[in-house]
Amino acid sequence: MNTVWIGIDTGGTFTDLTLADLSTGAYWFHKTPTTPDDASRGILQGMREILDLAGAKPEAVKFVCHGTTLATNAVLEGKWAYTGMITTAGFRDILELARQRRPSFFNLDVEKPTPPAVRAARREVTERVDNVGEVLTPLDEAGVRAAVGELQRLGCDAVAICFLHSYANPAHEQRAAEIVREAWPDVYLCTSSDVLAEFREYERFATTTVNASLLPIIDRYLERFERGVADLGIPGRPLIMQSNGGAVSPDTVRKFPINTFFSGPAGGVIGAATLGESAGVPDVITFDMGGTSTDVALIKDGKPGKKSVREMGGFPVRTRTLDIHTIGAGGGSLAWVDPGGLLKVGPKSAGAVPGPACYGRGGELPTVSDANMVLGRLNQTALLDGRMPVFPDRARAAIETHLCERLGIDLVQAAAGILEIVNVNMMGAVRVISVEQGEDPRRFALMPFGGAGPLHACDVATMIGMQQVFVPQRPGILSALGLLHADTRADFSLTRLALANSESIGVLNAGLAQLADRAKGWLATEQAGKADVVYEWHVDLRYFGQNFELAVALTSDRITLGVLDALVERFHQAHDQVYGYRMPERLVEIVNLRMGVTVTRPLAPDSAAVATSAALSDALIEQRPVWFPSTGFVPTPIYHRNRMPHAITLQGPAVIEQMDATTVIPPKADITVDPVGNIMVQLPIEGKTA
Amino acid sequence: MSASAAVDPITAEVISRHLLSISEEMGATLIRTSFSPNIKERNDCSTAIFDARGRVIAQAHRVPIHLGSMIGAIEAIKKRFPEDTIRPGDMFLANDPYSGGGSHLPDINVIAPVFWQGRIVSYVANIAHHSDVGGMVPGSEAAVCRSIFQEGLRLPAVRVMREGEIQQDIMEIILLNSRTPDERIGDLRAQFAANVTGIRSMTGLFNRYGAQTEATIDAYLEFTRKRFVAAVGKIKAGVYTAEDFLDGDKEGETARLALRLTVGNDQLILDFAGTAPQLSWARNIPNQALIATVYTVVKSLLDPDVPTNAGYFDAIDIRAPRGTLVQPVAPAPVGCRSISCGVLGDMIAHALSQAMPERSIAGCGPHHLVVFAGPDPRSNDYFVNYETIAGGMGARPYRDGMDAVRVHASGAANLPLEALEHAYPLRMERYALRDGSGGTGEHRGGMGVIREYRALNDGIQVSLSSERQHVPAPGYDGGLAGEVGVFVLNPGTPEERVLSSAASDVDLPKGAVLSIRTPGGGAYGPARCRTRDAIASDVSEDRLTLQGAEQAYGWTG
Repeated sequence: MNTVWIGIDTGGTFTDLTLADLSTGAYWFHKTPTTPDDASRGILQGMREILDLAGAKPEAVKFVCHGTTLATNAVLEGKWAYTGMITTAGFRDILELARQRRPSFFNLDVEKPTPPAVRAARREVTERVDNVGEVLTPLDEAGVRAAVGELQRLGCDAVAICFLHSYANPAHEQRAAEIVREAWPDVYLCTSSDVLAEFREYERFATTTVNASLLPIIDRYLERFERGVADLGIPGRPLIMQSNGGAVSPDTVRKFPINTFFSGPAGGVIGAATLGESAGVPDVITFDMGGTSTDVALIKDGKPGKKSVREMGGFPVRTRTLDIHTIGAGGGSLAWVDPGGLLKVGPKSAGAVPGPACYGRGGELPTVSDANMVLGRLNQTALLDGRMPVFPDRARAAIETHLCERLGIDLVQAAAGILEIVNVNMMGAVRVISVEQGEDPRRFALMPFGGAGPLHACDVATMIGMQQVFVPQRPGILSALGLLHADTRADFSLTRLALANSESIGVLNAGLAQLADRAKGWLATEQAGKADVVYEWHVDLRYFGQNFELAVALTSDRITLGVLDALVERFHQAHDQVYGYRMPERLVEIVNLRMGVTVTRPLAPDSAAVATSAALSDALIEQRPVWFPSTGFVPTPIYHRNRMPHAITLQGPAVIEQMDATTVIPPKADITVDPVGNIMVQLPIEGKTA
Repeated sequence: MSASAAVDPITAEVISRHLLSISEEMGATLIRTSFSPNIKERNDCSTAIFDARGRVIAQAHRVPIHLGSMIGAIEAIKKRFPEDTIRPGDMFLANDPYSGGGSHLPDINVIAPVFWQGRIVSYVANIAHHSDVGGMVPGSEAAVCRSIFQEGLRLPAVRVMREGEIQQDIMEIILLNSRTPDERIGDLRAQFAANVTGIRSMTGLFNRYGAQTEATIDAYLEFTRKRFVAAVGKIKAGVYTAEDFLDGDKEGETARLALRLTVGNDQLILDFAGTAPQLSWARNIPNQALIATVYTVVKSLLDPDVPTNAGYFDAIDIRAPRGTLVQPVAPAPVGCRSISCGVLGDMIAHALSQAMPERSIAGCGPHHLVVFAGPDPRSNDYFVNYETIAGGMGARPYRDGMDAVRVHASGAANLPLEALEHAYPLRMERYALRDGSGGTGEHRGGMGVIREYRALNDGIQVSLSSERQHVPAPGYDGGLAGEVGVFVLNPGTPEERVLSSAASDVDLPKGAVLSIRTPGGGAYGPARCRTRDAIASDVSEDRLTLQGAEQAYGWTG
């Protein structure tokens, strides 16, 4: 019986693996060092190990889902393929002109990013289509052939074809692609109408060239990964997690590697959504705090928010992603004093090396982790269940040497200050993501995960005025767990600028039919059975003259006058909800058509309740003084999470330690441990909230 | 100062983080709810928070020319409205440079008091560039205007909202005076919404931190001042002079900008005595634009990360004689001040560069401005399309100038050509880097831009404004100047004609092509010192032809 599922989340330092055996309901977790030169090596090793650990046979594996940072790292490090671009004559510099702004208004040395297709490799071809898709100048086919020759001579590995207004009429791009394929069958190739059929040329061209530059990189990697998985004796194809929270076949990723930029964080959000639903907490803001950065996302009714553009390496990459807001602060963020005498935290980080001072790996500068150490919030002897010794005296020395003297304050004030400043930054991120989606964060529960999330979550929630904090049973591996819950999903979009009236119905239905065709092609690639497919349609609308769109659900795959009227009414409502007003007298314009296709899978079992000892006292490790904003230091019981009984209640203060995380709960908070070991903290209502 | 002794550096930092995040929330609200491409696509707007005395305490960075530029509007409100006549829910607007603390008429300030425990503790404010506020030219901004009365509707500080109620009479005056009233409604409502967000969050901040909030904000400004003073202490004290030139009143004439900079005693003194009298054309720089440019250039060169608030503004003493083009008196026209501010920024940078030669920056190519207007048969409506087109940045002692960017205090984005062609009866023929426009030198100047439009129907008129079409962006230390800008009608045809550097109501008949070529930046260091690698890279990147490389650098491959 094929009953084993495996999730693999590759991080910068560690690769996390989760294995679920559906026949027994048992879960297994494993960590293995990431191998940056070829991540597939570490992953395959980890898979071998977790199969051994679980005593499972490779033949029994039904499902493997992989979250990858390969494309992200390639962009951030500029390690992409030498990419050629074929574009409309007169416009090869669009990629460099960008939006004509300096990347930083005040730091004059921050450059615009160098595009993957450098100027010499951007070749112009005579052709022109207008904004409604009419051909003004036919495609110069000989020009395309000449461009191919030039790009071959330059040694390009990939080619992007980017013509103006190709979202309105892709014929020229498609014909040029045919010519390139004939002349150069083995080149990696994509067109802008295929990658992103939406208007705004810089964003479309940048997205397309970045995609092209990653095609060879991702193909070679997946080749090794797929072969390795097959060599292990695992039947069937593994799936790859995308930024939109859906897992797809390697063949789909080979066409659109840009869809994997937020693969890992998406796993965490999907994990949080699934866990929240099963625990009866469907409205959640996730709080994934790691060493150098923190991701937050808003989940409403069990559904994560989505957005259509993310910045990646300085480029606006337009792909459908879960709406995850990242800030550059984490446990390793450095604390320092600015020239005016203010205490600052971040954006620089101590990283994995040299790391926080308290880790004793050579770090001497104070970090957020050192502040937690000084304030008794982290174990004073060792982390990772005793495997990693720590050095509180070094944390104290770092803060005293670099901060106390210059600021004229004592050790505890400085450490508490570091926490408060980093927490205010987190609060800002939670507020921005809520305001952007028109939600009040106080109605949501904060769900911390990642190594440092549970250390800070209660303080951050208190600042915002949130009353519930939900700490998953295994906060450190929620992302890997989320991979087990991913459905297979794809998103398609098409710009159709048209007024929302009866005259546009024909154009819109033709557009929807085009999207349906693309979905059909994709479903064939995924080899999905028809029964499990769920379709969703959205339309981006705006008031005529506005330049920002709101996505509104479309309830049918065919537009009639009645459907259109209902759509426009929902747009007025959405505008009112998000912006506080509507303009019923104004014309409404349709901008983009969107289609989401989901192939559902049977749910993974809830993680089973683990038998634990009957008494809370058995879980008590020690009492130690721990600092809280409301009280200062108070004697606090320290529990080991694995030994805590489930389905109990207790009161803060408490610190709960486990292998992959430490949870800090303030005085007067009510703590409930549910039957499977998740912790719900009910915070005391504080009068003063911002 | 005593304030910082009483307040610890942690609470000050925490509150400063709150203030910054509130100004960002206001900006997000404004951009998301606004209507015109100018604000939505190009983000030509800013948001700020002031203390009860009217000092800037936080500003979200959107466009540097708005830096500190809402200060004047707050002062104007305080002058006109005694505090006991202001109620919660009131809002004010103003745009006039001479009576309302404005910078030029299209920039409308909207300001609201924040009440806490029955008194004003703060103001929240935002500024947005409206693409038409009336006047003789569509877009309300053209170098050829001879008086501010030709530039559009002048608004002193007026109460536009009374205890939450919009004063429709005032709205009607504004709408009737604009060529595009529908956009104005949408954009003004977005400005009101941004302030509502700001008031809510500021009230929350005061509720949280209570009576100590104001003292903490004072302390935060003092911390900022100390930080800035530390940066001033790192450059060479002394007195430095600089000059540069705007294009003058008549084609081919120039107008002198002069500066005497004193660095020392924990402050900077900028004295603009010697600057030419105000111009009869709209290149004059009103006070708010002058201070915004000074604050921007000083921050960029001395400490890019210093918080944008009164803490550092107060350590800069600006002296500009009345009646000069950097302190014009009414009714001098000021519409095109942002282009003049490009040249002004170069001069300020030149003076500062003498005190910090290792971080100097050569002259820059300022953006050019074009406004298209006319009937659009597709919608039976009148259209106005306002666009700014970037030049190139000057080189620094260690790097080439950046190509195709807005410089100094200016910073708005371009309009995507696919959005342009959808919205207006214009077609883009070419949009490219302008090869060879950056100055030649060890580190070359940044390249300007070529942008060419074809008119798709009759009746379209264009107004054009620019600087550095006669006086190029200077190079430093032996580096050559950048290429000057030029407007060309129907290039490469028998009807080719170079247009004036400032023109209004130029007819662009159906089929005609307007080519805008913006100026490049100056170079740093002599051409003979440019490395072979850098030249080879320019040649392989098509930025230099082989022939050009030979001429400029004696390059023979």
